[in-house]
Amino acid sequence: MFLTETEIVAMDCTDVVRQLWDYLDGELTDESMDAIRGHLAQCRQCYPQFDFERTFLEAVAATRREHPAPNMVRRKVLAKLRKAGLEV
Amino acid sequence: MDGTLTAGESHRIDSRRFEVEALPWLDDVYRFALSMTRDESDADDVVQETFLRAYRSWHTFEPGSECRKWLFTICRNVFLRLRERERRRVDYGGDDAQLEALASGQEIVGSIGEHTDILSHVDLAPALERAIGELPEVFRSAVVLVDVEGMAYNEAASVLGVPVGTIRSRLFRGRRLLQESLVMFARDAGLATRAACEV
Repeated sequence: MFLTETEIVAMDCTDVVRQLWDYLDGELTDESMDAIRGHLAQCRQCYPQFDFERTFLEAVAATRREHPAPNMVRRKVLAKLRKAGLEV
Repeated sequence: MDGTLTAGESHRIDSRRFEVEALPWLDDVYRFALSMTRDESDADDVVQETFLRAYRSWHTFEPGSECRKWLFTICRNVFLRLRERERRRVDYGGDDAQLEALASGQEIVGSIGEHTDILSHVDLAPALERAIGELPEVFRSAVVLVDVEGMAYNEAASVLGVPVGTIRSRLFRGRRLLQESLVMFARDAGLATRAACEV
């Protein structure tokens, strides 16, 4: 079942905002994703909230730094595994 | 030759598979361990124990399934055991049922435009990293797995051994706490007006 354009725009803003994170995380059904996408494209009230949450999540994702395990940890892991029988 | 592997051959193949499939995730496991322990020495212990357990139970790993998720699950369990041993209690200020209720009440915050500008134009990475580190552990794990490591809700739920709804509510609360920290940081640094911070 597909929502009509009128139904998409008529979605309650509170419902849209409540589902924003699920939407940004891609955790909704295809139909709900389409409905919210359509609503955001036309709702001036909801879009700034969406833009803020999206920018926020991008900033959090950007904190992922490559934290390579220190060589000492790597050596200890390998030593322990060899002792347990791993052939490396 | 009947094609049956000797014990030695089988062991060498298992070793090789472990080396190829599990060991490349050492950096990821270390990063995840560090996010939970917030202490390099503890992370070191957790990582060593994680790989030792993984190796010993390698026969239970399903070929073709996601090795990183499997290792993260072991890592999380090792961390919990370590924490239990040290009897450190973490109070995260509410149960998951309360968080579910909170999650259903997300509201449009005021002065969003100014906040978005700050997020877009200021390098908040150090402040965010600090704020993530200060989150109570239950929220930090959910935020790290989903927002930093890019896992789907069901994958994070599997690693943490909780229902998907719990991941959703912990994410909600964790993200809100992060946003509050950032708003306070922006205000203290003179990056946002006081009015914009009253959300």
